[in-house]
Amino acid sequence: MLEATDLMVFYENMLALNNVSIKCEDKQIVGVFGANSAGKSTLMYTVSGIMEDIRKKEEMAGGERITVLGQIRFLGRDITDLKPSKRAREGIILCPERRRIFPECSVMENLRIGAYLASPSQAKDTLEYVFNVYPALEKLKKRVGGFLSGGEQQMLAIGRALMAQPKLLLLDEPLLGLSPLIQSIMVRSTKEIRNEKGISIIVTEQYARPVLPIVDYAFILENGAAVLEGPRDEVLNNPDVRSAYFGVS
Amino acid sequence: MEQRRKERIDRGIKVRADGLYALMSWRELGYLILPRMVLIVGMLILPFVMPSMYWQRVISIVCIYALLAVSFDFLAHFVGLVSLGGALFIGVGGYLSAIMNTSFGFPPLLAIPIATIAGAAICTLLLFPCLRLRGVYFAIVSLMYPLAMTRVIEALDILGGTDGIMGVDSFPNRWIEQYFVILMVLLFLFGARRLVNMDLGLVLRAVKDNDQAVRASGMSITFYKAVAVFISSAMGCLGGACLVHIYMWSGMSLFALDFSILPIAATVIGGAGTIVGPVLGCLILVPVSELLREFGTLRIVFYSVILVAFIVFRSEGIMVYGQRKYHQIERWVKV
Repeated sequence: MLEATDLMVFYENMLALNNVSIKCEDKQIVGVFGANSAGKSTLMYTVSGIMEDIRKKEEMAGGERITVLGQIRFLGRDITDLKPSKRAREGIILCPERRRIFPECSVMENLRIGAYLASPSQAKDTLEYVFNVYPALEKLKKRVGGFLSGGEQQMLAIGRALMAQPKLLLLDEPLLGLSPLIQSIMVRSTKEIRNEKGISIIVTEQYARPVLPIVDYAFILENGAAVLEGPRDEVLNNPDVRSAYFGVS
Repeated sequence: MEQRRKERIDRGIKVRADGLYALMSWRELGYLILPRMVLIVGMLILPFVMPSMYWQRVISIVCIYALLAVSFDFLAHFVGLVSLGGALFIGVGGYLSAIMNTSFGFPPLLAIPIATIAGAAICTLLLFPCLRLRGVYFAIVSLMYPLAMTRVIEALDILGGTDGIMGVDSFPNRWIEQYFVILMVLLFLFGARRLVNMDLGLVLRAVKDNDQAVRASGMSITFYKAVAVFISSAMGCLGGACLVHIYMWSGMSLFALDFSILPIAATVIGGAGTIVGPVLGCLILVPVSELLREFGTLRIVFYSVILVAFIVFRSEGIMVYGQRKYHQIERWVKV
């Protein structure tokens, strides 16, 4: 479904992604794991096209020069040069790190903004579905986004991404700063969304333990390079991964 | 497949001149001093190379706008307060200096410093209520004061009313006038550049980035913002005080919005956040606007076109672009 080959991203002279190739098949959950500064967010921005946007802004302001090399193919089409808004229309929706919900809009308004690309009937169905997956949100319908707790905000962010009718959902650190209980809810819902909606999902995370069990295929990034990849069980049983990401020696 | 990308790296001499080692060779010293000397010497010989009295007067006006632009850049890009109060500063400083001169008989060179300090204090007091708030309030309030001031002066017929205050003394001669404003611009320019790298400047930049974190570090952000507004309105009031002695008249046109808007345009063209950039912007914009005077009202159209072109094609500004070319080289490298 998504195939990114030989992605290289330079921030000025710093190499943020070094020849990373990732692949996501239809209806798969793909996990991307790595420590801070491994290049997870850069990868997400590059795939969703936000990197193009950042590059242009930096160029206008005379800041860092960002160079993006490599190819991205989505549903058999080359989308390397597509703008982020076009990519969203194609069905690649990013749920950004630290949620980035609209803090001054109510929950309902946030979701309605997300539904900009959907037809009215799709929007209605998806809204029901979101409240079904996250019942907590339904009670908070009228609440202003900025006053939600971290977990509720994350639910809202994923709900907003779902409203845009994704074919491929990019979740950037969805467990950031959440309690173990909420983490398990988020992980369970991620799997549910894949199973029920048939959406492919790429999820990044620093800490592999909660997420690894639900992914089909995993990549491990280190300093911008993909050092290891493989199906879940293979990665799970790799001794290096066990010691580095699970704390099992 | 071979891929190439353009690489930017610092020049060797820039790296060597960064530290104390710069003192070890004339070449590195020259590299550091050259751009500064070009500006300083260039400003100092400007009055000599101007062809006529008229253009010498333009230089003084350039310097007054430059003071305003430095004050705008300092407030907007190092403290995070977007000020539209250029007209307020000019007006308060101008009227104070005119009153000092006509009513109390102070000579211009004494009236100007007093008007600068007192005017800065008045402006800070006027703007103090909106310093606690973040966002657009400061800009609105600072824009509102000059509008209100003109109406108050007109309605109450105080401070000379619509006629203004006549008979203000001029500078002893035009050389003193020009060198006074030029030296003041250079003084405040390099002073502000030093200030933003001192401890106080660091706190102010932190206030711009995240005021909650600064408050959490136990500092009163309102106090620091007030200090910044005082410094920046002092620059503006100084400009206004000089202006009334140049024109020998103080009137309601001191509160004209040109004084608020043109410094912003100069900052955009010169390069935001560089402090030197706005001065360069004024050196370009003010003479250009004088040259365009022949076109009458079409002047504004040309002016707007220049501005828009700059924002679209070079929004980083001349100074940011120039600094990059001076300090760095570019070359193609194989990936």
